Amino acid sequence: MSETTMDEGHVSEADDAGDELVVSPDKTETSEAQSSQAAPAAGDERLAYRSLFQRMFVQPEIGAIIGVIGVWTFFWAVSLNFGTAGQTQNWLDTASTLGIMAVAVSMLMIGGEFDLSSGANTGAMGILFILLIKEVGDLGGLGLSIWFAVPISFAVAMLIGYLNGKMVERTALPSFIVTLATFFILRGLKLGMSKLLTGQISVTFTEDASGYDFWQPIFAGEWIRNEHIWNGRDIFYLGFAIGGAVLLALSMCEMHFVRRESNSAAGLPIFGAGAAGVGAAIFLLHTTDGVNANILAAAVLGISVLVSLVGFGMWRYEPVESAGSLGLTSKIMMRIGTGLALVAAAIVASFAIDSNNAETLFFPFTVQGLRVVLMMALAGGGFTLLVIAANLALRVNPTTKLFVSTVLAATLVVFAFVIRASAEATKFRTELFSVFLFAALGVFVWSVLSLRYQERRAEDETADALGMRGLGLGVLFLVLAVVLRHLFVTQAELDAAVNPARFSVRMLWFFAFTAVMAYLLARTRFGSWTFAVGGNAQASRQVGVPAARTKTQLFMIVSGAAWLVGMLLSFRLSSLQAGAGDGEEFEFIIAAVVGGTLLTGGYGTAIGAAFGAAIMAMSLVGIQSARWNTDWRFVFLGVILLLAVIANRYIRDQATATRR
Amino acid sequence: MAQRALLELENISKFYGNIIALEGVSTKVNAGEVTCVLGDNGAGKSTFIKILAGVHQQSEGSIFLNDEEVMFNSPRDALDGGIATVYQDLAMVPLMSVWRNFFLGAEPTKGFGPFKWIDQPKAMKIAKDEMAKMGIDIRDTEQPVGTLSGGERQSVAIARAGYFGAKVLILDEPTSALGVKQSGVVLKRIVEARNQGLAVIFITHNPSHAYPVGDRFLILNRGKSLGSFDKDDISQQELTGLMAGGAELQELQQELEEAISGVKKN
Repeated sequence: MSETTMDEGHVSEADDAGDELVVSPDKTETSEAQSSQAAPAAGDERLAYRSLFQRMFVQPEIGAIIGVIGVWTFFWAVSLNFGTAGQTQNWLDTASTLGIMAVAVSMLMIGGEFDLSSGANTGAMGILFILLIKEVGDLGGLGLSIWFAVPISFAVAMLIGYLNGKMVERTALPSFIVTLATFFILRGLKLGMSKLLTGQISVTFTEDASGYDFWQPIFAGEWIRNEHIWNGRDIFYLGFAIGGAVLLALSMCEMHFVRRESNSAAGLPIFGAGAAGVGAAIFLLHTTDGVNANILAAAVLGISVLVSLVGFGMWRYEPVESAGSLGLTSKIMMRIGTGLALVAAAIVASFAIDSNNAETLFFPFTVQGLRVVLMMALAGGGFTLLVIAANLALRVNPTTKLFVSTVLAATLVVFAFVIRASAEATKFRTELFSVFLFAALGVFVWSVLSLRYQERRAEDETADALGMRGLGLGVLFLVLAVVLRHLFVTQAELDAAVNPARFSVRMLWFFAFTAVMAYLLARTRFGSWTFAVGGNAQASRQVGVPAARTKTQLFMIVSGAAWLVGMLLSFRLSSLQAGAGDGEEFEFIIAAVVGGTLLTGGYGTAIGAAFGAAIMAMSLVGIQSARWNTDWRFVFLGVILLLAVIANRYIRDQATATRR
Repeated sequence: MAQRALLELENISKFYGNIIALEGVSTKVNAGEVTCVLGDNGAGKSTFIKILAGVHQQSEGSIFLNDEEVMFNSPRDALDGGIATVYQDLAMVPLMSVWRNFFLGAEPTKGFGPFKWIDQPKAMKIAKDEMAKMGIDIRDTEQPVGTLSGGERQSVAIARAGYFGAKVLILDEPTSALGVKQSGVVLKRIVEARNQGLAVIFITHNPSHAYPVGDRFLILNRGKSLGSFDKDDISQQELTGLMAGGAELQELQQELEEAISGVKKN
């Protein structure tokens, strides 16, 4: 077996040309031994192995998911109440209606078309619905029961979608133009019909309409958090959170390291001892309030996590034979130096600038605002440089990686204490503090594990399947933990006068709609055809895809989504302005693009668009809860759009580049 | 009259208004044979393919498939008749994966009624196996088609046509955009498809690609047929000469005779 790389574009070359492709310089022998076991079992030997993170990174949604985490963390870190149940309800409410439309619009965009009437359509459906059921007063009251108004308005929505699709098909004009016409027609109809039938520019319906009691909970039911008291919540919340974290950690190990041929029992007692330590530390943390006891518990927790994972690794994974000796290149040193300097500057800034000074320094910054921005920028840059240094170090050898990671972890710990010392609000003194400590722990433990166990560089289907299942279950546990915490309130929180949160049923519509659309796109013929007509309409026609029908169906999906949003709006507000929804079509398109959908069609996902909508909703709500001037929100949105487009382009290039 | 060939065309003409795109073209294609259609740009090759593929309908003349006169009103009709066309642009969606492209428009499904989903593991396995039959070991069927080389893409398209039960395979200029080595690969695929019993119609303007693989040659010039020749009746030089020659049939025939006598002397 010789070390050759793959010849470009050799189609006729025989199968036996499978030489080792991935040979890391420092462990040639081990990786060859490895591949001779792993390669025949699975996959094509000419495929360079892509690790879990590399594979996840090229999913079209990934930009939006990272964006959601980033934007959430940003607003959580700069505002006092972002992240509470009330604020979460706030942005989820906005995200739901925006997201339903963004998902539908993103499907249409994948199919290569636009619908500029989608915004006006949401309002039109609501107004049509209300005009149909209006019982009291005025001319236009048809006084239909809601039982009739719901299906009739839905049928009209389907008709609008069908007509949009047919017109685009028959005229062969760009859908931009055709739906622009529909937009103006709908806009005019909304105003004209409202004024003609009610004499007003807004329409209202009352709870007297027959069928209201049945339909109201379906479209506008609410879960009022403060009415659901469950004092035992925290046990389940913590249980799921810890269980989820453990599953995530173990699954990542499973997917990252090389499995031993036979497990070594020696690791089990160590794993057990570590796990017991983790349990004890959590119990200690939960039962004591004293600062010293907490710090002790945290120390025990950190050491126990390290011990248990090392034990777990000893039991399951191949040890590294030689980790090499410390080899710091000038590149790494330079990044460490700059990174540390930036973090130091952030620390200086945090102490030097008064965090209570709300005086406006220069437009639009206050002194305390400037402090936060400075700290975030400096520390963020510094930590990013240190992470880059750690990645560079991994290419040298695991020992160097451990060294750089330790520097990174130590810096994180120092920064955590700086925040604790300089911040005023309890939120920052406790929550932000612990987040930094956990980050430090994660970085350190991971690099110790990388030092001790071999990184997997070959396909291992059983390990990957097990890891993926563990990862899925772990995420499910974490989601459950968060959901429990948001849906129920404890008596203690009520006594502390927690802000009310009313979770609307529209969120369930949003999740369900996204799930159905994601399934349609990824798993059905209709989904495949959607990608095909957007990617190459002529080619799909030539192989027998009903291109026109597919596009018309996509227009009908958008119109159906607009109907759903119209229902949600009507039942929520019971009154709609004639201009409702006008101009929102671009927000839907932005959310879809932020979510990774390609403007030119043929690429994107439904889930990405849903996350894109979440990013936009979080930004709108977050700016308010950070008490910034909301006049500036569009600047923020513009910047997000720009960043998202650049990031998505990069991800797409990575996804489509397979020649190495 | 003897048994007709698998696909026979008699006096096919196509007019677009007063423009004569194709006039009186006849040829036949047998199973397990390659019929090459040669002609310079504007000779009517595209019209010829589009009629066979069901994109356009002939204005005059008849098509016989399996001894029955047929009329293809849509690309679906032609596909159902077993005529698969591999277009110059390959009818592929670059951003979609190999297996999705392979099955596009005819995805295998599971489930019932409105709850049908694509049988993805089956589709991926078939795509990989069919490519392997063509002698191509595709690395990863999830790979976007846009990342394949030109020859590999041709092979996906040919394998796809073969898998979906094509009896007649039409290849539109498959070698025109390829380098020498890649062209060789595609020509090899054509021979393999023929050996599997397919009737192949190979459209090209390159006689040196056509001659080695063809069993019969139909030469078009300015919408008219310059004749349909069996391989035994024509040499590569004659073929080249015909393609390069003038419009007048008489002249060409003279040239042809001269050329033939020249060959005999050799």
